[in-house]
Amino acid sequence: MHLPLLSLPTLAAVASAARFTLHIPANPLVNPASLPPSTHATLQASGPPLTARLTRSNSFVFTNVSAGSYFATIHCRDYAFEPLRIDVSIEEAVEGSGDKKEVVRAWQTFLGNEWENKGESRGEGGNGVLVEARPVGEKRFYQERQGFSPLSFLKNPMILMALFSMVLIFGMPYLMDNMDPETKAEFEEMQKKSPLSSGAANPAQQLQNFDLASWMAGKTDSNPASRGQSPAPQSKRKG
Amino acid sequence: MRLHAASTLALAALLAPARAIFEDDAYHIDFHHALIGLPKRGINFQKPYAASKASLLYAVSHEGAIGAINPRDGELVWRQIASSGLNATGLLRTGEDQDTVVSALGNHVAAWSAADGRIVWETSVDGATVEDLELLEQEDGITNSDAKDVLTLLSDQGLKRLDGKTGREKWTFQDTSGDTPLQISTSPTTVYYIALHTQLLGGAKLRVTSLSPITGKKIDQYTLSSEGEIQAPEHVLFAGANTAAPLLAWTDKSNKVLKINIIGTKGVSTFNAPTKDAVEKIVLHAPSRVNSLVHFLVEYHTATAHSAEVFHVDLKKGAISKAYSLPELKGQGAFTTTSSDANVYFTRITTEEVIVVSSVSHGILGRWPVKRISTLAGAYPIHGASEVVMKGGSASAVRSAVLFSNGQWVLIRNGEIAWSRPEFLSRSVSAVWAGLPEEEALAHELEVEGHQDVLTAYIHRVNRHIRDLKHFPTWVKNIPNRVLGSLVGKASDSLENIQNDNFGFHKFVVLATAAGQLAALDVGSQGKQIWHVDLAQLAPETVFEAPTLKAYRGYIEIKDSASQKSLYINSTTGGLLSSGDIKTQLSIEPKGQTLISFDLVDGDLKGFLGADISTQPIWSFTPPNGEKITGYTARPTKDPVASIGRVLGDRRVLYKYLNPNLVLVTAVLESTRTASFYLLDSASGQLLHAISHEGVDVSRPMPSTISENWLSYSVVIDSHSDASSRGYQLVVAELFESPLPDDRGPLRASSNSSTVQPSAASGDVTKPFVMSQTYQIPELISHMTVTQTKQGITSRELLVTCPDSNSIIGIPRHVIDPRRPIGRDPTSQEQSEGLTKYMPFIPFDPKWHLNHKYEVAGVKEVITSESGLESTSLVLAHGFDVFGTRVAPSFAFDVLGKGFNKIQMLLTVAALFVGVLFAAPLVGRKQINGMWTMPS
Repeated sequence: MHLPLLSLPTLAAVASAARFTLHIPANPLVNPASLPPSTHATLQASGPPLTARLTRSNSFVFTNVSAGSYFATIHCRDYAFEPLRIDVSIEEAVEGSGDKKEVVRAWQTFLGNEWENKGESRGEGGNGVLVEARPVGEKRFYQERQGFSPLSFLKNPMILMALFSMVLIFGMPYLMDNMDPETKAEFEEMQKKSPLSSGAANPAQQLQNFDLASWMAGKTDSNPASRGQSPAPQSKRKG
Repeated sequence: MRLHAASTLALAALLAPARAIFEDDAYHIDFHHALIGLPKRGINFQKPYAASKASLLYAVSHEGAIGAINPRDGELVWRQIASSGLNATGLLRTGEDQDTVVSALGNHVAAWSAADGRIVWETSVDGATVEDLELLEQEDGITNSDAKDVLTLLSDQGLKRLDGKTGREKWTFQDTSGDTPLQISTSPTTVYYIALHTQLLGGAKLRVTSLSPITGKKIDQYTLSSEGEIQAPEHVLFAGANTAAPLLAWTDKSNKVLKINIIGTKGVSTFNAPTKDAVEKIVLHAPSRVNSLVHFLVEYHTATAHSAEVFHVDLKKGAISKAYSLPELKGQGAFTTTSSDANVYFTRITTEEVIVVSSVSHGILGRWPVKRISTLAGAYPIHGASEVVMKGGSASAVRSAVLFSNGQWVLIRNGEIAWSRPEFLSRSVSAVWAGLPEEEALAHELEVEGHQDVLTAYIHRVNRHIRDLKHFPTWVKNIPNRVLGSLVGKASDSLENIQNDNFGFHKFVVLATAAGQLAALDVGSQGKQIWHVDLAQLAPETVFEAPTLKAYRGYIEIKDSASQKSLYINSTTGGLLSSGDIKTQLSIEPKGQTLISFDLVDGDLKGFLGADISTQPIWSFTPPNGEKITGYTARPTKDPVASIGRVLGDRRVLYKYLNPNLVLVTAVLESTRTASFYLLDSASGQLLHAISHEGVDVSRPMPSTISENWLSYSVVIDSHSDASSRGYQLVVAELFESPLPDDRGPLRASSNSSTVQPSAASGDVTKPFVMSQTYQIPELISHMTVTQTKQGITSRELLVTCPDSNSIIGIPRHVIDPRRPIGRDPTSQEQSEGLTKYMPFIPFDPKWHLNHKYEVAGVKEVITSESGLESTSLVLAHGFDVFGTRVAPSFAFDVLGKGFNKIQMLLTVAALFVGVLFAAPLVGRKQINGMWTMPS
């Protein structure tokens, strides 16, 4: 990977000013060559931020950065990038040698946390160090329209319940017809035993015709078939 | 550490459901003019790389932006806007068969990838500005096919040659003579450096130094006496043309004589201007290609007409001779030069026609009448560039990108206007919403009725209804079309039509530029320009620096700081109104009441009785500790509030502190990095609340806004402060009458309270109870405002402008609710209010971006307005780009969206109807059977 930074001239060299490069590595999320040209990085500390635009080699070149602790952000239309903390300091390369050099250190940083709370290192070194700028996700601007789809309609539990009961109502007679005689007999036996089917053949009708008044009066009818019949036939029978 | 990232992501998920733009609404309900500003001379058609089939239009603007435009449709391919901004010297050079363009803005020289606008190399010079920039086309007579080297002329650091691939310096020629550097010019073998040598006794001499392109050493030097004609650098018309014979041309102060020198020789040819009228401007056009014929054109402009002369250079003799002249035409026009192989063609563009001539003879090769369009009414071409297609000795096609005098950048293709870019809007300084004329007329009629007695009002109304009847037949005729249109889903048709504006989305916005141009755009139909006027033509005696607009019913008032007089413009047509016409309508002041106005006077905020600020102030606010007021925001005059309280989860009510006279004053103290925000009552001048922030970067923008009973502002934390966190903060404060629910505080007992003296009435206790929360945000905010709806029922959205990401973001109100519980999960009652747990960081969800894929650059102000629908608010951003959209903060609850399938609904109804037809006999038979047959 060639560094455009190394070839960059500084027409006026300023003492104790670091230069470094934020580089977007090749990653599975986005092809860095497809990023829009408005993509840029800012270094914020105090006053107006330093800005670097995206170069052809997918990097942002900062020159003349004075010592300090910077909050680096990459602004891109299509992708979000992780925020970085970049510290530039002037340190003696060897203790006591008096030979001072710029040192650049970069970490992940977490917004909404203390500034001292640093994450993984993203690059460290002297002048011209390469700092990794990683994309974290694509920006999705649009909302999906909730159109009508038959599948979502079927997912509705009410519809599912209705469909199930439909299957039972229409499917049961067919099932009964298709049973072999032995199973059918067995099934009917079971139905007879079940408490619902005691007495009348149709429990629903039985329930509908339930004679509340006579039941409350404690009448124990020996002829359950006549229960719930309209009074007229009864009187007829009496008469 | 991963945990933090995870929690941030979880928070982002938690903040959903976000209201976002639907994909099928994007690019339909919104519009964006991606501008580059008024292009400077030297617009260029150039292929972005050698093998490219089509060329792009490259231009640098007066606003300091470089842009590449697709000549086919006028769409922006890429642009880069200089951070230094306005009035920087801007130069752009494009080399043939190169994949880079080189620019110089201020002290910054950069090479950009011509196809996609990425930076190739850049370099900046401290303490100097770049005066001139040239590409070294040839070296020792051989054309550079690789990246061509760049020559830069700096204001006080001499001439530098930079490597075309890397930007590294190759050599420097230091000029120590103290002359004013003017220009660079190159010939195939030599580099010429032209400087202006000022003499003591007035006038100046031109000093031409020839340099070796390889070493940068001086070869020769000579001076040309200008005989006192050149007083300032502006008098030199032209220097350069990368031809075999570079030219140097200048004129005298009265533009009567034109003097031309072939650089490298000492002879000066003198030509007189062809017209007797005073020549206002002379422009020289020469081909820029090395192998072109050495012909050039000189353009003369008088106040009423323009003409041109074509000259040929005889290289052997070193003589310049006039070849032919193009006739004088009334009105203004522009000339462009096109070179194709060695041939040079000149295109003359006037308001009526486009004419192509060859540089060799005056025969017309092609002529096309220009079809006029309304946006170019009254404007004339200033400068441009052309591409000519030659076929069999005549021009078969020509396209010219021309800047017109009203700021429209237009492409004329064979006489047809292919596209126009409203570049003048990039200088807009003020914008207001103006209602549609019909609406205003009706409101006026109703007002007339309101002021009459019952009988005349009744007659007036009947008359009005009879008059309205004439629209009835057309309305009936349109019904089938409208029904069909809405069914088939041609929603765009109804968008275009202002007459069919059922939802009040079509609102005019009137923009004023610094130069005094006024334009009205229809926000509902993709920002279509309704009218455009130049105030300098309407009112020539007034000067405009920064006009401010104010909208009244049917007209707009324009005020400028430079002149005290106000101008009035009809908001429907853009016509000038005399102040007599509108005197009758100027009764905004309610009778029997006096307005209190306030303004920043001598660093203090002062309140005055009436609109006159020359009287004695009735109150004055000076911030303590020597703080300086940097700005103030008032609650909008039209800010309807639907509910006077906030209903809590337990059905109790927190009463909002609703004061129409709230003003938020921002004050800073630079020495201690303190930013203070003072909430004032503008009627009484009373201080209601004060907040102070330490460790703030006071040089950065601190936008603020007030709406309803809440206020918001944003600050940037300075790195030199000892704050534990860094970055950008957003503060939201909400005002209540009392901290207790179901309590109206001191106002409970008083049936009558005074806004002028709230304090005297019941002590200091009328001060609001303020709840506030601070959030970390990922970006700088440069401007903030709040959405507006008709009745204020719809929840509001805080619209923030983020200049770093060129976006406008709508933050939902419930996200920045200061009542979010801190350090604990919300109780079930709080959950029912929609409150979530406080998180210090608010990530800007991409779904909140109103501008989605657009990049809205340089926004200075965002204005909002109600639409006809309660759910929807109209938004317009201006400053450099112009962007308009509409937002529905609580979803579009009162209008059917595009997702509603009308055909499906009709089919369902039809199917049900068919079903009923089938079932009706069945049911009928069953009912009859049930009645007539005995149950078995």
